[in-house]
Amino acid sequence: MSEAAVSAGLGLWPAVSTLLRLRLQTLLRGFRRSTPRRKFGTILLGVVLIVFLGGLFTLSWMSLGWIRSPEFAVITGDIGAFLDSLPSLVLGGAFLGILFTSFGVLLQALYLAGDMDFLLSAPIPHRAVFVSKLLQAILPNLGLIGLVGLPLLFGIGAAGGYSPLYYPMVIVVMLALALAAAGLASMLVMLTVRVFPAKRVAEVLGLLGAVASIVCSQSGQLADFDQLSAAQTSRALQLAIHLDASWSPLSWAGRGLMRLGEGHWLEADGLLTLVLGLSAAAFAATLAAGERLYYSGWARMQAGGKKKAAARPATWGNRVRGIPPAIQGLVLKDLRTLRRDLRNMSQLVTPLILGIIYAIMLVRSGGAPDPGRGEAPGWAMEAMRTALSYGGMGIALFIGWSLLGRLAGMGFSQEGRSYWLIKSAPLRPADLLAAKFLVAFLPAAALGWGFLLILSVLQRSGIGTTAFEMAVVALCLAGATGINIAFGVLGAKMDWEDPRQMIRGGVGLLSAIVSLIYLPLSLALFLGPGFLTAFLSLPAWVGSAAGLVLGGAASLACAIAPPRWVRHRVPGLGEA
Amino acid sequence: MPELNAWDCLGGHPVDSASPLLETQHLVKRYGDKLAVDDVNLRVNPGEIFGFLGPNGAGKTTTIRMIVGLLKPSGGSVHVAGYDVQAQPIQAKATTGFVPDEPNLYPKLTGRELLQFVGDLYGLERAQVARRGEELLRMFDLAGASDDTIDTYSHGMRQKTALAAALVHDPRVLLLDEPTVGLDPRSARLIKDILRQMAERGAAIFLSTHILEIAEHMCDRIGIIDHGRLIALGTIAELRGQGRTEASLEDIFLSLTGGAEYAAIAEVLG
Repeated sequence: MSEAAVSAGLGLWPAVSTLLRLRLQTLLRGFRRSTPRRKFGTILLGVVLIVFLGGLFTLSWMSLGWIRSPEFAVITGDIGAFLDSLPSLVLGGAFLGILFTSFGVLLQALYLAGDMDFLLSAPIPHRAVFVSKLLQAILPNLGLIGLVGLPLLFGIGAAGGYSPLYYPMVIVVMLALALAAAGLASMLVMLTVRVFPAKRVAEVLGLLGAVASIVCSQSGQLADFDQLSAAQTSRALQLAIHLDASWSPLSWAGRGLMRLGEGHWLEADGLLTLVLGLSAAAFAATLAAGERLYYSGWARMQAGGKKKAAARPATWGNRVRGIPPAIQGLVLKDLRTLRRDLRNMSQLVTPLILGIIYAIMLVRSGGAPDPGRGEAPGWAMEAMRTALSYGGMGIALFIGWSLLGRLAGMGFSQEGRSYWLIKSAPLRPADLLAAKFLVAFLPAAALGWGFLLILSVLQRSGIGTTAFEMAVVALCLAGATGINIAFGVLGAKMDWEDPRQMIRGGVGLLSAIVSLIYLPLSLALFLGPGFLTAFLSLPAWVGSAAGLVLGGAASLACAIAPPRWVRHRVPGLGEA
Repeated sequence: MPELNAWDCLGGHPVDSASPLLETQHLVKRYGDKLAVDDVNLRVNPGEIFGFLGPNGAGKTTTIRMIVGLLKPSGGSVHVAGYDVQAQPIQAKATTGFVPDEPNLYPKLTGRELLQFVGDLYGLERAQVARRGEELLRMFDLAGASDDTIDTYSHGMRQKTALAAALVHDPRVLLLDEPTVGLDPRSARLIKDILRQMAERGAAIFLSTHILEIAEHMCDRIGIIDHGRLIALGTIAELRGQGRTEASLEDIFLSLTGGAEYAAIAEVLG
């Protein structure tokens, strides 16, 4: 390149185009170099998404057409106001969705990706860097949100018989709102990072995301839709209508589109021009502010003169006799690093939330099976009642297993690039396996026992039953730990950059399948003799004792044998 | 200059110059068809600082990783303090300290906790680790940050923490891969002093470096590796005496590894 060309540099839009093209090339190259299986999966996903789009559009069109029909109005009364507010609600949801999801993506792109210094020192306008970062941040999220929003909005148009101009304007308005949302998100990111370290914010976001997704996905389990009254439905509709506040620009966007569809050109022009102008102004203002903050150094400078209080001097505590120091050191190290990394805490929160939800459901049911239509034979109902009496144990086992799946399966991989410290130390593979076993088993068993004890108190279970169930939970989890540890060794990856790449997919899947086969089988061995002795009218303790012997032997075999089988692989871990 | 009390209280190792503390015999590492390390034979005696030089990708790090047991050799053997690293890894590793080129340490442990953890791995008494850890942290000017997690450390602080971790168990053989990269002059000088003192007390030091000045002034003997093969071995005087009249180690290195022509290229570009 000539000196003149270098000194002239690129203009704003050619630079944006170059940066985006580079990103596109990276994506395409990644696709071209991927395995045939991955290529096939990507293409299949694309086809599924297109089918999904079509399905959602048809569903939205048909259902809205039906809801607008006079026949339906007879059943529900007038819901015209609710239907009128739908475009605003969809656009509002898309705006907020892009605002929140862009926050995480922009945090990564502006502060954690590590390429900002390189890009800002290149002979291209700073604004081009920010525009390309914002576009890169919103495009995937816009795609995902558009996947749901566009078919809904198009369906509303089709059901309402709107004018053809409505459809392209939906896309334009959505893009404008997305740009404004991304601009606001970038400002929020810069403000947040002024106060908190970017890495910490990313960890907290991960935790909040995990909690929110698990609560959203599981809260439906607690809702009692059978008992939903007409008054409750009406209140929900009213709430939706209230969200479409007349002062909100998001509402102007929805109303503008509706008026456009209905042919009220003047009103539509006024509202949509206002929305597009505001969006453009918001985007431009945030772009200019972001650029200035970044260039002046304020966006990267942490606020607050208060120095962080020094952490309490950490003590490693006293050693437990009889356990090799290396095992104790590894267990302490793992428990501390797991506790301090919020990304790990989010994985602990998932089984906790699931456990609480299922425990509430179990306590609410009173431990009695659903009578159904009363056609089931008596012995079946009795067996169901007995099985339900072990419901608490099942929940405890499930949440313990959910936790140990992560702790044991990723036990080795989580060492990552720090594994050299362990590998160059005088450590026997058996000690390392034992330490990883304890790191996974101890928290899982503690969590399982905790739930079991709380449920036993709530359900007023006897001491004998509780003790039996605690033994079953501990032994079952020990066996599952052994299996997961073994698969963790087989699928270990130490060179990951992203924690999601910690374990090889195939091995992780196989581990889950084997665990899911193991758990019911071992439970059958623990509980089967109990059912048999009840059938033979023998004392209950005979069944429990026989169950403990049979199930305990099988569980211990699974706890010990799989790690022993893979022990020879441990010295080779971390070698390319 | 910080006080080096830690060394005073630990004492040294008996120097037995007869048997090497580190020895590789016909060491080979093969990745498919590519020979990363090809028949490397070298020995480092007690009290000796051995410099391991070579261009990028010559096989330095691969050799070091085989010596410390991080990589399995495709052929040959490594003996550390008389122990075969493959056959007696526990005994060999117990006598070795290692500082890698990239100080990847557990980001969520504090500096002090890391030293305690390493002490546990080497089976040291906790009180001994605590005492020695404090000395090392003070010596490396890390005491003020010892209760902060490592993810808040700079590269130089991580490098010093890795070195402190390698010294916790007072190794007889210390291997360092580019130990002074990213360090300020004061810390680099401190490391040089520590290595010299360790060698004086009988330890064998094996260090790879790109800074030829360090190798020239610190190392008792030097090995130069290129394309996986050890192409030169000896003291500076011996290397100078290998038929050429070059004055500096840089000249010797460039003439042996074929880098001399780059000077001409640089001249053209300049």
